[in-house]
Amino acid sequence: MAAPRDGDLAALQILLKAPSKDAVRQLCQECFSSPPAALGPLAQRACPGLAVSAEEAEQLVSALHNLTRHVVYRGLTRAEDILCLFPENFHQNLKNLLTKIILENISAWRNEAQASQISLPRLVDMDWRVDIKTSSDSIVRMAVPTCLLQLKIQEDAALCGNNPVVSALTVELSKETLDTMLEGLGRIRDQLSAVANK
Amino acid sequence: QFSALTEVLFRFLTEPKEVERFLTQLSDFATMNKISLGPLKNIVKSILLVPNGALKRNLSSEQVRADFIALGLSEEKASYFAEQWKVNSPTLTRLAVGQTLMINQLIDMEWKFGVTAGSSELEKVGSIFLQLKLVIKKGSQLENVYVELTLPQFYSFLHEMERVKTSLESFS
Repeated sequence: MAAPRDGDLAALQILLKAPSKDAVRQLCQECFSSPPAALGPLAQRACPGLAVSAEEAEQLVSALHNLTRHVVYRGLTRAEDILCLFPENFHQNLKNLLTKIILENISAWRNEAQASQISLPRLVDMDWRVDIKTSSDSIVRMAVPTCLLQLKIQEDAALCGNNPVVSALTVELSKETLDTMLEGLGRIRDQLSAVANK
Repeated sequence: QFSALTEVLFRFLTEPKEVERFLTQLSDFATMNKISLGPLKNIVKSILLVPNGALKRNLSSEQVRADFIALGLSEEKASYFAEQWKVNSPTLTRLAVGQTLMINQLIDMEWKFGVTAGSSELEKVGSIFLQLKLVIKKGSQLENVYVELTLPQFYSFLHEMERVKTSLESFS
């Protein structure tokens, strides 16, 4: 995320027209969370509240988006670092207010960025049940326990936008398969604790 | 003579995929004993019906022996067959259970875990991820399913699987 340019940040001064500090806070959060494609509609929604032209609203929204994303990208946590980003003759109170809002939200925003990064389909939930097979067409009487495992898997969040597709996969495991799987999982756990203890 | 034939039969039953070997052994037997292959095949087919039915109904070796005698086989041969049956039945039962319907059977699991160093949203990350590849048999095809888990998810998954294992063990 490249550092926002001075010209962009000047647009932030439009926020001086905002009705309240909470409105500014709200706008900051919305600008961070929205993907670049949705900034247009967001600007239109912000127009009436700020009593500015559509063009100015767009500049403002885009500037806020870039600023917040840049701070999260660089992982800036100190007020001084954030204050440096603003141009020299920027309105002092607004600068402090924005820095304060950003610092309040930084860890939530960081988590949000991590949660929405690209990844393989993620495990959302899992359920299991143990059945006993009593008979089948190849053997009339038996008592074989077997496990049914249901995994709820969500496709990559970025690809699905607002409608994440969750698919349920039901897998059957025999006792041997389960033992082998547990062996593998145990090995993972051992390696993880070896890495953690280093 | 009969024992050689029984041996061939049981070898086929315990390894049902070795059809070619079974047929070769049958034709060898036919030539050795100067019987023609056609009638021998028919006899073998009818003989095979008995163990298959016995397997389905979990018959003991005495019952198998009684069945054969009822079908007209001499006592000596029937006892010999029953003995072979007793020896081989665990393998045969296991095979039959293995053939029982399984839905989306898990065949294999591969895994890797690592650290996310950075992303387009966050310059420095440093979080651990775990990726599993599950190979599942859907019908007659194999399907690969890829899943990513976070560390806490992995630990609860491991915990749940251990509970399943305890549950399965209490039923065996």
